[in-house]
Amino acid sequence: MDTRITVSKRFQYAAYALIAIGAAVIAYGFITQPERAWANLLLNNYYFLSLAIGASFFLAIQHITQSGWSSMFKRVPEAMMSFVPFAGVIMLLLYFGMHSLYHWTHEEALATDALVQHKSPYLNIPFFFIRMVLFFMAWTVMTYLLRKASLTEDEKGGFVYFEKSELLSKIHIFLLAVTFSFATFDWIMSIDVHWFSTIFSLRNFVSAFYHGSAVIVLIVILLHQKGYFPKLNESHMLDFSRYIFMLCIVWGYFTFSQFMLIWYANIPEETEYFAHRWHLGFKVIFYVNFAINWFLPFVLLLSQKINKNISIVKALCIVLIAGQYIDLYEQIFPGVMNGPVFGIIEIGFFAGFTGLFALVVSRSLSKAALIPRNHPYLEESMHHHVH
Amino acid sequence: MNKTRIIGVFDEEHALMDAVNKVKAEGIEINEIYTPYPMHDVIEAMGKKTRFTFAAFLYGFIGSISVLAFLYYTSVIDWPVNYGGKPTNAFPSFIVVTIILTILTVTLASLFTFSARAAIFPGKAYDLPDARSTDDKFVIVFDKSNKKESVDKLNAILHEKGAVEVYEKELQLQK
Repeated sequence: MDTRITVSKRFQYAAYALIAIGAAVIAYGFITQPERAWANLLLNNYYFLSLAIGASFFLAIQHITQSGWSSMFKRVPEAMMSFVPFAGVIMLLLYFGMHSLYHWTHEEALATDALVQHKSPYLNIPFFFIRMVLFFMAWTVMTYLLRKASLTEDEKGGFVYFEKSELLSKIHIFLLAVTFSFATFDWIMSIDVHWFSTIFSLRNFVSAFYHGSAVIVLIVILLHQKGYFPKLNESHMLDFSRYIFMLCIVWGYFTFSQFMLIWYANIPEETEYFAHRWHLGFKVIFYVNFAINWFLPFVLLLSQKINKNISIVKALCIVLIAGQYIDLYEQIFPGVMNGPVFGIIEIGFFAGFTGLFALVVSRSLSKAALIPRNHPYLEESMHHHVH
Repeated sequence: MNKTRIIGVFDEEHALMDAVNKVKAEGIEINEIYTPYPMHDVIEAMGKKTRFTFAAFLYGFIGSISVLAFLYYTSVIDWPVNYGGKPTNAFPSFIVVTIILTILTVTLASLFTFSARAAIFPGKAYDLPDARSTDDKFVIVFDKSNKKESVDKLNAILHEKGAVEVYEKELQLQK
């Protein structure tokens, strides 16, 4: 049972073509509208980073709970988290775009604005990048170690690497809780430097986990339809769908909590954030965000029959990919741009990053056996059966 | 109506399922199965389907709509009060109440539905063929038919599959 994926030439060319189109549009964007281009760069890079981080958290949870059912699919989240170092390199490029994105980097804001001054011991450019490097180092090391333990298990077998993965996963989720929280505060929340929300990091973390899981399910389904994962059965689909269902509720809970408390307390420095997101034509996005990321999956996945239906779940995962984009668009664009914009630049950026992500993930998938060889729970996963 | 039943007692759920499958393959009808905890395999093997989830969904749907309607009626139509300049139809603040009351509705309504369906009420005396099925034993009940060979076959299967006890008893059960 040694199945390796061969990435077809067509797929590779398509990915390269997307990257080429993306590169052209990115160059065009930076020449004509640098501010918009920087916002796009941040959005897309954070978008795919959050998928990778979400996947790594998914994997860690499987290790910690010693889940049997998912052990067959663990190479998919492993491949997704190989995008982390690439995102790190791209994120460092923000150094050149700080002034376009972050108001707190402006000299005159620092001179006159008491709040910016108050936050300056934390929010200053050197410390911002020191933190960024630390975060990415931690994530890269942890994801590398997790991947390595999994690959060594393939060769040597036994329980040593199974237990080692569990230990690494425990360290990983602890590190993620701290680092990813500060990362979202730094990169996303500081765009609106006057505003603050303590549930923000949790909300964004759940969003990453949610959409990361949706992409894992999508990749598994696509591979299944290509003929890999022949053992994927209704019980696996049910468990995958339950993951999405559960995360959709948690996402809705946190997102609504953040909004409701701010709306109800009605304190000007907090309400300003949503007031801004309700005007200038951004209001549609606010509602579409809830409709796509909470209402649609919640209503659809109530039924067990739909949970087990591969093509409906696949379509839902594709919609959720758009959902994460809309969620991030709502958080980033109103703080940077004066009004909602969507055009060739946004599409081009997304296409370029999708190409890069697809290339990195498919390469990583093809480097090892698709189904882990010596995982202790592999048999259980193959014959998974739930009601 | 009292009937003579054949009762098999098992220690393990796997042994029970083995026996159930074998008995079904032989075409002998199972009267009822009692287990210490719910087992989906048993429900499936008995050829039963539960409509309970749909009932729960219906209660939730009706519950949430009526709670929202109630909140709208009290705070917008019947007695509008200005709270800190909020609109009287303060929809976001209704949602938390709606969630909590919907959960309460579903829980209570499901409990009552289940009690009514299973004919359970406070103070009811138990009618179990073997009281150990609330403890750690898996109990399977058959009607004793008149054909001798089929009774012998049944006994043989139950013993073969590892029943710890097989005995006969006069019982009045619901079915």
